[in-house]
Order: sequence, then structure tokens, then C-alpha cells
Amino acid sequence: MKFKDYYEILGVARTASSDEIKKAYRKLAHQYHPDVSKDPAGEAKFKEVGEAYATLKDKEKRAAYDALGRHSAGEEFRPPPNWAGSQANQGGQTFSFDDIDLADLFASFSKGHRHPQQPGQQPSMPGQDYEMATQISLEDAYHGTTVELSFKVPEYDAQGQLKHVPHAFKARIPKGMTNGQKMLLRGKGGKGFHGGKDGNLYLNISFIPHRLFRALGHDLYIDLPLAVSEAALGATVKVPTIDGAVNLKVPAGAKTGQKLRMANRGLPKHNQEHGDLFAVIQIAVPASLSERERELFKALADASTFNPRAHFE
Amino acid sequence: MSVEYPDSILLDEQHEISLNELAELSGLSSEELYQLVDSGVLLPINPEAAIWHFNSHYVISIRTLCRLKQDFELESNSLALMLTFLERIRILEHQLNRH
Repeated sequence: MKFKDYYEILGVARTASSDEIKKAYRKLAHQYHPDVSKDPAGEAKFKEVGEAYATLKDKEKRAAYDALGRHSAGEEFRPPPNWAGSQANQGGQTFSFDDIDLADLFASFSKGHRHPQQPGQQPSMPGQDYEMATQISLEDAYHGTTVELSFKVPEYDAQGQLKHVPHAFKARIPKGMTNGQKMLLRGKGGKGFHGGKDGNLYLNISFIPHRLFRALGHDLYIDLPLAVSEAALGATVKVPTIDGAVNLKVPAGAKTGQKLRMANRGLPKHNQEHGDLFAVIQIAVPASLSERERELFKALADASTFNPRAHFE
Repeated sequence: MSVEYPDSILLDEQHEISLNELAELSGLSSEELYQLVDSGVLLPINPEAAIWHFNSHYVISIRTLCRLKQDFELESNSLALMLTFLERIRILEHQLNRH
């Protein structure tokens, strides 16, 4: 087990008073709390700070921590023989310090030590909630899919040793998701201890950027490039949708930015309805013109009285 | 790896959960949730109903609220103010993602 210097993490002396510890914690919490700070490293830092404070704010835990002796941060160590935490942890059973860290040790220490019970009658402890992000394609959001989820959770093995074990399963994502949808999977977080309920898994679902479509809620948007002649004269053009291409009638005089709505061609909603698909018109011109095209455009320019900047005047 | 169908709840403005579920999932007590309703910052779908239900999106903000309460040792009076800000941030972030 690697040693963590909780006093150093909080930036206080080993002789610090409870008030000094609380003050140091609050200052660091304001700086690094993931719900407050925008620092990307804040979450990991706050975890350390919270872990240090959870132990040092509690007289019994602080005394047990101090009894571990002084070590350098990151140094491999084992608690001294007959250390209080090892008895409390397993109700007298053999206890291994391999594959766990100080946080696990003190979390179970508090439960076992405060309320000494007979082995097998330790107080229940709910499993930890987990939060994960997963990405799905727009097609998967349209049809529904399954995603593979995998993470490590602390569990007791058959010998009663606390270990971090892989937790992997496939979960069904129903159709009707939107980008940024949050989903709760009951009981798929960390295992509860001693009869405690299993934790939950919070899944943040986002869409893999699509080559053609953008999703806003259940509506989809696609850029629809039109040749100048198609925009001026009107046209029927083939437009892809998630569910296959459709013919769209573009009215004469279509303008850049104008949206043509294709009802119910968006993502499915939970009430069996669908969002809409919007084709956003863009006027496209060829990167290079043939001699003939150049002549025709010149003739059009000479013949036309159209002034696209009339509103400037 | 077998496909599982865990009991799932979509957390958004279209789905709902009961007060007891919200308490269980968020970590706040029913009494604390009643106080937030009394303060007018937590809105039941139908305030006249015998059993209150809420839009399930509250699970996220009230879990955050519960974390902040524990980590900053907040008093219950601060919770209503904090939830107002969390909800405002949620709505603004939602609007930002739509543009």
C-alpha cells in the first residue's frame, strides 16, 4: 500500500488544530471542488484533499493515521502489527493490505471501528455511485443500441480481502436519446458491503460528430448545397436522412440560410413521435468555371438587373 | 459479456420520479426536499398531488447539491439558494449546447 501524507496534501503541520485543518480544507475545496472549479486537474486534486480531510477531521481516524508512522508520500508501507484499523476492518479475520489504498482502509475503518460487531454482522454500507461518459453514433441514437461499459470497483473477494475488480457489462440504450442525455442505471455502480445496496451508474451519453447531420434535441440539421441555377429556378433534389434518402422540392428563389423542414425525419422521441429534419440551404458555386460556363455567367450578369445589395442603399 | 437490461431512468424534462426516489438517488432527506419545495426552488409536477413527482433532471442538480452540502458543510438555509444557481447553470448550459 502506498503512503499518502494527508498533512502535506492539506498543507498543514502534523500538530495542526482541528480548526486549522478545517480552514485549510475549505480553502482547497473552494479551489478544486469539481462542482465549482474549472481546473481540469481539480477533480483528482479534490479527491486527495477530501480523502485527507475525511481522515484528519475525525479524532479517532487521525489518531489511527498518526499511528501509521511517518513515511514519504508514495512510499510502499504496511501498517504496524496490531494497528487499530486492521482489526476493525475485518472483524478479526485475516486482512490483506495489498491492492487497496488508504482511502479504502479508512472508509471501512470508520464503519468497523466505531460500531464493533460480531464477524458477519458488520453494518451495511451502500455501494459507491459511478459516473461514466459514452459516445454513440446518430444512427445508434435513432435505432437504439447496446454499449459496453467497463470500470473497476472495490469489492471483497471470497477470502474477505478488499480488491479493485473489473466490472464490465453491456447495457441497452433505447432509441430516443438526445446529445448530452443522462441516464441512470440502478445498481450498476459499486457493490454494497455487508448487505448495503449497490451503487448506481450515471451515464452521460453524447453523439459522435456526424459527417452530414447536426443534432439539436430531437431535430436534425443538414447543410443543403444548391447550384445558383437550382436556387434561382427551384429544383427537386435528393437529400439523405438517417432512414434513407428522400426527394425534397426546393422552391424557386431559395436563399442561403433558409431552412426547409422535413417533418418527422429527425430523431425518435420517447412518445413515438419524431423530431424534424431541417435542410439548411447554402448556395454553392464551382471552384473553377469552364469557358462556356464563364460566357453564360457573363451573359447573365449583363442581362440581369438583380442587385443583391439593394438594402445597403 | 452478456447484454444486460438494468433498471434505468432517463434523466431529463420528459421523465418523472417520486419524492422518495429523488431522496434515495440524490442523498438529501425527504425533509430537506420538502424544504426546497417550500422555498419554491424545487417544483413538483403537480403540487396538489398526494404524492409529489418531479422531473427526473433534478436528480443531477440535487446530487450536486448534496455533494456541495457535505463537502462544504453547508447549512440547510444555503441549499435553496445553491439549487437556484445550479438550475440556472443547467438551463444556460442547455441553451449553450443548442447554439
